[in-house]
Amino acid sequence: MENTKSKSDKDKPKVKRPVTPIQTPPPECVNPKDIRLFREPPWKLRLTIEGDRSYLMVRVVRAAPLSQPSRYICFLDEKNEVIWTVEDPSVLDADSRRILQEELNQRYMTAVIEIISSLRNEFGVSYWDVQTNRGNREFVVRNVSESAQWISPRRLLLIDVDGNRFEIPDIDLLDKRSISLIEMVI
Amino acid sequence: MQPFIESLPPEVDAKLQRAKPSEEQVFIQVSADLSDDQAFGEKWLVATKLRLLVIPADGVVEQIPLDAIQDVKTEELVGGGRLVVERKSGAPVYLHYSSSLIPKFAEVAQGIGQLSKGKPLELPTEMERTRCAKCGRLLPEKDSKCVACIKKWHTLMRIQSYVNPYRTQLALVVLITVIGVLINLLPPLITERIIDDVLVPLSNFNLLVWLVAGLLGAYLFSWLSEIGHTALSCWLGFRAAEDIRAELYRCLQFLPIRFYDKHKVGALISRMTNDADRLEDFIAYEVPYLISNALLLVGIFSLLLYKNWVLTLYVLLPVPPIVLGGIFMWNRLTRYWRLWSAKWGKFSSHLNESITGIRLVKAFAQEDRESTVFDRHNDELRQVNVSGNRAWFIFYTITNFLMSFGVFFVWYFGGRQILDKELKLGALTAFISYLWMLYQPLRWFGDSYNFMLRAFAGAERIFEVMDARSEPFNDPNTVDMPKIEGRLIFKDVTFGYDPGKPVLRDINLTVEPGEMIGLVGKSGVGKSTMVNLICRFYDVTHGTLQVDNEDVRNIRIEDLRSQIGIVLQEPFLFNRTIAENIRYGNPEASFEEVMRAAMAAEAHDFIVAKPDGYDTMVGERGNKLSGGEGQRIAIARAILHNPKILILDEATSSLDTATEKKIQAAISKLIEGRTTFAIAHRLSTLRNADRLVVLDEGKIEEVGTHSELMDRKGLFYNLVRTQKETSAVMAVGGGKDDPGSE
Repeated sequence: MENTKSKSDKDKPKVKRPVTPIQTPPPECVNPKDIRLFREPPWKLRLTIEGDRSYLMVRVVRAAPLSQPSRYICFLDEKNEVIWTVEDPSVLDADSRRILQEELNQRYMTAVIEIISSLRNEFGVSYWDVQTNRGNREFVVRNVSESAQWISPRRLLLIDVDGNRFEIPDIDLLDKRSISLIEMVI
Repeated sequence: MQPFIESLPPEVDAKLQRAKPSEEQVFIQVSADLSDDQAFGEKWLVATKLRLLVIPADGVVEQIPLDAIQDVKTEELVGGGRLVVERKSGAPVYLHYSSSLIPKFAEVAQGIGQLSKGKPLELPTEMERTRCAKCGRLLPEKDSKCVACIKKWHTLMRIQSYVNPYRTQLALVVLITVIGVLINLLPPLITERIIDDVLVPLSNFNLLVWLVAGLLGAYLFSWLSEIGHTALSCWLGFRAAEDIRAELYRCLQFLPIRFYDKHKVGALISRMTNDADRLEDFIAYEVPYLISNALLLVGIFSLLLYKNWVLTLYVLLPVPPIVLGGIFMWNRLTRYWRLWSAKWGKFSSHLNESITGIRLVKAFAQEDRESTVFDRHNDELRQVNVSGNRAWFIFYTITNFLMSFGVFFVWYFGGRQILDKELKLGALTAFISYLWMLYQPLRWFGDSYNFMLRAFAGAERIFEVMDARSEPFNDPNTVDMPKIEGRLIFKDVTFGYDPGKPVLRDINLTVEPGEMIGLVGKSGVGKSTMVNLICRFYDVTHGTLQVDNEDVRNIRIEDLRSQIGIVLQEPFLFNRTIAENIRYGNPEASFEEVMRAAMAAEAHDFIVAKPDGYDTMVGERGNKLSGGEGQRIAIARAILHNPKILILDEATSSLDTATEKKIQAAISKLIEGRTTFAIAHRLSTLRNADRLVVLDEGKIEEVGTHSELMDRKGLFYNLVRTQKETSAVMAVGGGKDDPGSE
């Protein structure tokens, strides 16, 4: 009897529960058009909310660098507290967008693997020799099939023993040899 | 050579010589591995007494006089970092590097800081090795063994080394095996005589009787040797496997906490169970047959060649394609079994997590989702199994088919030789019998090849754990310290879990024996880290931590830890009886002592009220006890352990007021005469502390008694005020009142 019940429960379409809206405190509710990023002096990043306040020494980080790389960008103050999070940076003015991109490029040092020149797996340790968008590099990953992080079914992030990051945005876009090498270990 | 004076390529050296006077001594000379646009490439940093030089591979040398430097620091980025040299005026100079060089540049930044302030340069005299000295390959762990320099043969030899202690039994197995093989070779020879000397000439009954008796004898001996051989080799195999498991478990026990930070528990358990099982099967069932079948193969082959070398060559025709196929299949099948092991690791990891966290799963009604995740892992496991077995099956059937060709050749060419009277019928029959016998070990090699690969993959994973560096328990350079007084001195201690990311900075603190120190600060400021250093779960990065004026690294770990007691927020209890749990740190304690400890911990009353009293099984992780009960048992355990240094890490934070009062009473008995470090969020619980140490961002901000710090109106005062306000708001809002507010 119980079995039938649970079976029929399983077949029922799942009802999406409504999420209670969560109130966020200011300055999250600022108008994105009032936000301006600039460098003054040239090596210090500042953020101004027009007509309200200005922050010295700002840092820019991605809220979810892997799953949402181009959205949800956060601005942090000197104490690492979030000043504001912009959902879609395209609302910012052109200069701010350019600076934002420069800052992000500087912070995220993940290399994108283009070709796998050689790959050996021995004793649970894999030795990679790769060509990346930032040049050639050798690195070692321990227990690659356990430690590799699949961001999507074909997108892979590898973090080597030292903490360096290597990304393969789409395994299918690699050349045949690289694919067969990677399939040897993962 | 000093690690911070790296050799320069000639063109960079030339640039350096042009940029500075030749008599100016170089103190630091290191390369970064990223250029300004963050492409992989070299960029050099040289520091002399007067200046800092940044030398790119191509481009202009940048010079910064040391007296123009304001500050030198490292900045953590994602997947790397940068050295920031701030000048008294003008833009800072940056040097980017990958994560591999973070430890080096953390030291370099300190070094330049010392030089620029005119202090003597203090850099480590050696850095950990990152490459194998023999093959130059990158090491999987700094200063570890190079796994690439260990070959398959070595794996086999290493497995064999576990059998070595049982040499006599091994010799006996080999002897029985050789006898068995020789006896097995007899029957075809006897049948040959029966056919050629009795059946074909149709005479000589007496000879037939003798020959049949011989045949019976041969089969009997063969059967006996088989029994002896199997019994002995199983005994041998299980013994060796037991030893491997014991060593693996010991290794797991003695591995440092750092190892567990990086590995999943489920995956480690899988090595202990699955991989060790495979290895056990291999040693018990495969290795003995490996020997006997290899001998049998050689024996039969020699006999075949001796009897008729021409026919033997025909038999061998299918062998080259089989060997080639085998070589091709080796990598493919190894890959599948390695993958299988990894998937199994993930599978058991998820299982472990979801069953351990079953309460949470149920509380959030996520049974379905967890089942779906399980189904996915289960399905992946099946897929790998299917693919591996399919590949194996195809190889196996093709091999079998090819091998059967040999028989056709022998019948055809052997038959022709008989017709030409070059060969007798009995000889051909014997030949064919040997041929079938030859296929048997060959087929066995094919079959067990599969198991061998699985066992090798398992062995590799086991040896990987065994080769990980364990804690230096038997370091001969350490001093015995059976009686610690309890004086602790932190001297300029800096520590980070990851190099270059310090969690504690320049900690200086002297704690007298018997003193109670309250560690205070927001979450993540390094309170628990300080405690971890005292227990020597981790070693300091810079500075020293002394216990009774001896560097903690020089004290025998066993002596140190046996005199430290810990009570954590969530006490870990083993699924044993209450008495056994209390006795954990002191197994020799009498029952009376156990009871006295429980009384001191205010636990005696609730224990005896239970139906089984002290013999109550506490359940996995103590889940049959309430939080307060478990906590008091943990305190009783600490009291019985009688440590000189006591650590209370949020020991009372998750309890209600009444229970907390009892536990406070228990704790005040526990801390008498011991150096105590207490961490508590509820600041009022630390009022009895002799001194409070307030940490902020990894540094000691304030030290003093409760009232001193309140009078000072600094960080501690603010923390107390915030806590008061929060509890007032919670009380108004209907939240739980915080008894910690004064």
